[in-house]
Amino acid sequence: MKRRNALSAGIALAFVVGSASAGNDFDYCLLCHGANANGNYGIRAPKISGVEPWYLARQLENFAIGARGTPAEDAPGHEMGPVGMRLKAEGTLDAAVKFIGKLDSKRPAPTVTGDVAHGKKLYENCVSCHGAKGEGNATLNSPALAARSDWYLVTQLVNYQKGLRGADERDTYGAQMRAIVATLPDEKAISDVVAYINTLK
Amino acid sequence: MGSVPIFGIAAVQRRRQVKLHNRSESLVDPFALAHYLYAQDNKIKPPIGGQYMTNKLSRRGFLNLAGAFGGSTTVYRAALALGLLPAIAHAERPELGTLKKPKKVLVLGAGISGLTAAYELSRKGYDVQVLEASFRAGGRNMTVRNGDRIDETGFPQVCNFDKDPDLYFNCGPARIPGHHKALLNYCKELGVELAPFINDNRLAWVQDDAMFGGKPVRAREYMTDSRGFVAELMSKSLAPEQFAAPMTKDDYDRLREYLKYLGSLDPSFKYLGSSNAGLAVHDYTNPDVLKKPLDGRELLKSRFMAIMSFGETDDQAAMMMEPVGGMDRVPAGFLRKIGHLVQLESQVQSIKVLTKGVEVTYRRNGEYIRVKADYVLNCIPMQLLAGIENNFPKEFVAGLTAIPRGKLFKIGFQMKERFWEKEGIYGGISWTLQDIQQLWYPAHGINRQKGVMLGAYTFDPNAGEKFARLAPADRFKLAIAQGEKIHPGYGSYVESGVSVAWHQMNHMLGCAAQWDEELWKKWFKTLQTPQGSHYLMGDQVSYHPGWQEGAMASAHHAIADIDARERAAGAVAT
Repeated sequence: MKRRNALSAGIALAFVVGSASAGNDFDYCLLCHGANANGNYGIRAPKISGVEPWYLARQLENFAIGARGTPAEDAPGHEMGPVGMRLKAEGTLDAAVKFIGKLDSKRPAPTVTGDVAHGKKLYENCVSCHGAKGEGNATLNSPALAARSDWYLVTQLVNYQKGLRGADERDTYGAQMRAIVATLPDEKAISDVVAYINTLK
Repeated sequence: MGSVPIFGIAAVQRRRQVKLHNRSESLVDPFALAHYLYAQDNKIKPPIGGQYMTNKLSRRGFLNLAGAFGGSTTVYRAALALGLLPAIAHAERPELGTLKKPKKVLVLGAGISGLTAAYELSRKGYDVQVLEASFRAGGRNMTVRNGDRIDETGFPQVCNFDKDPDLYFNCGPARIPGHHKALLNYCKELGVELAPFINDNRLAWVQDDAMFGGKPVRAREYMTDSRGFVAELMSKSLAPEQFAAPMTKDDYDRLREYLKYLGSLDPSFKYLGSSNAGLAVHDYTNPDVLKKPLDGRELLKSRFMAIMSFGETDDQAAMMMEPVGGMDRVPAGFLRKIGHLVQLESQVQSIKVLTKGVEVTYRRNGEYIRVKADYVLNCIPMQLLAGIENNFPKEFVAGLTAIPRGKLFKIGFQMKERFWEKEGIYGGISWTLQDIQQLWYPAHGINRQKGVMLGAYTFDPNAGEKFARLAPADRFKLAIAQGEKIHPGYGSYVESGVSVAWHQMNHMLGCAAQWDEELWKKWFKTLQTPQGSHYLMGDQVSYHPGWQEGAMASAHHAIADIDARERAAGAVAT
């Protein structure tokens, strides 16, 4: 029997349903960060589609120079580190950010629960930088918080608290955030504030 | 790749350190400790009441202790006899019926389970297509040679070994035991030539900074002398009245006799050394001279006791095999038959289970392509599948993220000279309690000038992470510094290296799924049960993760189920 071209004939019908880039170059971003980079808790890789390009670029730079993701306790962070280094070394950091920007961003399903009313109160400390709707503020170098991987927000707040992030002097904005995190005394406060952020649209 | 759950050294080591310090150093304690650690490693329930050392030992309790020190098999069998371990039904290679009319099957992933299923189904009237995300097929069955790419997300590498059929490195699986019937049958059927693999070499080294100031000793010396020490100790300290159950004098004498042989004791039950530890010199024109036994207490300082029986475990005991020319001869054998069914560089982005069939969308050259099939056999690693758009039930998705991923790490070095052969080491493994954990010496190419040896194989995920966050050159530096403690001058032989951090490899981000008893109980059925016509497959959905045999068992399980469905629907020709 002559073998048919399996994709075009053998397997029902194959439809080309869209195109996002000129090749597979950055597909490995989707490996960790999931389809359309909407995040994958399975390997603790947050949603990065829909995130401000200037913020992505800065974080990639931080990873590349080791200002973020180097402490041994931050296992997901130091998995990202080498990727930042690679993008910087290849000179493709901006192209990667552009690639992410073209993806189909979806609001992730909430996974964190907490006392929303208490979280709302705590969030008052966040408003001036991150905005009342968690929309972020580029001039203040504050990224949006709404419609992000909520478990990732928790992880990062804990990381700031533990000094796993924002402790490197080259990460100036991280250091600012680290100081503010002192207003969230414990893990309950953190999940409460993230539960509130989950309500922001 | 070694099965981590059986030798879950990683987590156990951390517990062990605590336990070691908590316990007094009385002469008897090490037995109890060894048993305790052994039982933990092998998930054997502790004796009732959790008492490891009491004044009265039951007979079984004693034999368990002896077994814990002498080798795993004794205790393993005892545990089976007590019903402490589940009996696992062997999944035979299924006899599939031939379809009257083709059914479309989409296999996601061209690793061992995917290739196995595709090979079987395509011969029985199924219209099979395999989508593989990577630029290569084989999955974690990966052998690198001159010029091969190592596709790590952050640190992509190229293998710079000399072009030579013996200079290759098995990055994933590297050995096959004789009872892995499915794999061995496929090797035969696909013309994959096999050769003996040396897994256990008593002339190899054991090194632990905790004993003898870090100086390595030969494995046979450690094993013989520690057994001698322990057997002498036990034969001296045991009396019939110590046993809870009545013990006759004959029983007691037989027990002592056993200890005598176990520990190579002399007629007065003293351990004065044994040729099993290796002679002091091999001068066959003069009488044999035994080595002076090593200090028993020093030997017991090493946690090597937990690894000592490695070469006796179910999957690691002689006789082991390897394909001639590299483990990837296995996928190559499959590809000779069904290579035309495999499409590379196709990364799945979405899976939708339909009332009838399954719809899959994948990315290829920047395009999103949607396909439909009657069945989908999904071998995508769970940790990646969790990030792919899907309409699986909540419970199923929860399972995908509940099983931790493996973080094994390996280094292969091309050595300009097979220096280990000058030390009498031909194949096998040296063990160290340092990060690198193992050095493997190739069983092929003996007596040739150069060889590729394994310079690190970490079971401890912390060690895996430690290496993974370094750039390859620094990984090699660290591995060489640690290897020097076993072979002085080690680094001077290194010509080039490759490193594989499985949890950072593209399209993998992990290896052997880290199941444990609780996780198995809670999630295995959920993940193994098909969602409509969608089957999760791979060694990750087997009770033998980290082994090709586990991958094949899972493939056989899935295709047998499909076969049953087709038979029930009357779609199979009689």
